[in-house]
Amino acid sequence: MTHRRAMRIAVALVVSPVLAIVGLGVDAQARRSAKASETPAIDALARRLPSSDLALSGGARWLRSVSLEEPGAAFADGPALPDPDPAGAAMAPPVEVWGR
Amino acid sequence: MKLSILAFALKALARRKARALALGGGLAFAVALIAAVIFLTESLRAEAERAHLAQPDIVVQKLVGGRPTTIAAAESAKLVDIPSVRTVTPRVWGYVFLPSLQGNVTIVGTSKGAPPLSLANGVLAEGRDLAPGAHEMIAGAELARFLGMRPGDELGLPTANPDAHALKLVGTFRSALDLYTADVVICDEEDARALLLLPAGDATDLSIALANPAEARVVARTITERLPGARVIERDLLARVYHLAYGRRAGFVLGAAIPALLALLVLAWDRASGIGPDERKEIAVLKAVGWSTSDVLWAKLFESLLVGAGATALGLVLGYAWIFWLGAPGLRPALVGWSVLYPRAALTPAVDFAQLLGIALSVMGPFALLSIVPAWRAATTDPLETMRS
Repeated sequence: MTHRRAMRIAVALVVSPVLAIVGLGVDAQARRSAKASETPAIDALARRLPSSDLALSGGARWLRSVSLEEPGAAFADGPALPDPDPAGAAMAPPVEVWGR
Repeated sequence: MKLSILAFALKALARRKARALALGGGLAFAVALIAAVIFLTESLRAEAERAHLAQPDIVVQKLVGGRPTTIAAAESAKLVDIPSVRTVTPRVWGYVFLPSLQGNVTIVGTSKGAPPLSLANGVLAEGRDLAPGAHEMIAGAELARFLGMRPGDELGLPTANPDAHALKLVGTFRSALDLYTADVVICDEEDARALLLLPAGDATDLSIALANPAEARVVARTITERLPGARVIERDLLARVYHLAYGRRAGFVLGAAIPALLALLVLAWDRASGIGPDERKEIAVLKAVGWSTSDVLWAKLFESLLVGAGATALGLVLGYAWIFWLGAPGLRPALVGWSVLYPRAALTPAVDFAQLLGIALSVMGPFALLSIVPAWRAATTDPLETMRS
């Protein structure tokens, strides 16, 4: 490796986080701009839904609208205990078993 | 001069390639894991907050035994004359368990005057909005796919009410809106009442629109005075719930990732614990040929900086690609859940330059600084003594 080549590679490595941050930031901004076109649809839909909560649950406690139900509900399992579903277990059972 | 030292540092790393790759690889993996969890959590929170502003300013529920229950729609008469209250709308919604799905679907009744849903406003993928009184429904794309239904098909949802009608599917939501609609069935209010066994005159809750949302706190206080025991939920306060809910999910995953984070600490310890005999000898030779202590320190700092910077950049790109380019395989079930109705819509990044910079600096800074003390110790020893030993 020549000295000049080593210098170039070293400088590239030092500035690589900046390049990564700028590149990812620009990609994120482009994706957000594309998503902005969905805003009227989301607004129209959200007015027909009971809450803006995401369709993430479906497990033991059936708290689909967590923002409306969770804060006032008594703890079903225990304070600060993880729900068995959806976020408490990283390993999902096979879909065919779960859907049976 | 500094650039020459930088080039020298790279060559020194190349001479100890295996160690540099192990350090850089481990660090890149840890950065990718932490960044991916942050990217995914922020994205989910932003999705929930995106629809947040379209929600009613205040929601009023009735509590019995500390739990939400149905509320008499007539209670709305006690609230309409509160200053700043524009409308009070009793809402009908709830859950129906579908045995074939082994999960709940969310039934949402459509009240009169609700804004229309159509292909034109981008909500529906196919079909049309409901016709009042026609026993029709609109379902999430994921639910319709699971049930094998197409527009025109009819579905009798399980209920204890023999008078409930089968509902005809007249439209499906666009799959891009899956995160909100994967398990949703929207139908006429009367059909929702029949399915949910909700008596006429009762509602699930009351939604309140205000002329001036800034007065929500004052209006909420008045509501609690007029409806003692009611639970009043202000829209603005729900943002805190989202932060708690998604922060907790991220906490579980990061907790499960503690072994990986420990690996990062071991790497840092390796940096802090000192310099090997070969490196000591190299430093002694450098000092013997005229390098100053400062030059040696810069060389060692640059070595750490090169490994840390490269690994951080690689980790950030890997974490981002994992979540937004590949769809978060492996990590998405842990944070999004793994119900049969699984929202498949692509996630939108919510991360900004400041957060990316924060992750990068929190990794690179300590990693580079940890190398200074052992390098200083080695650089200040006598070169002859080091070479003899």
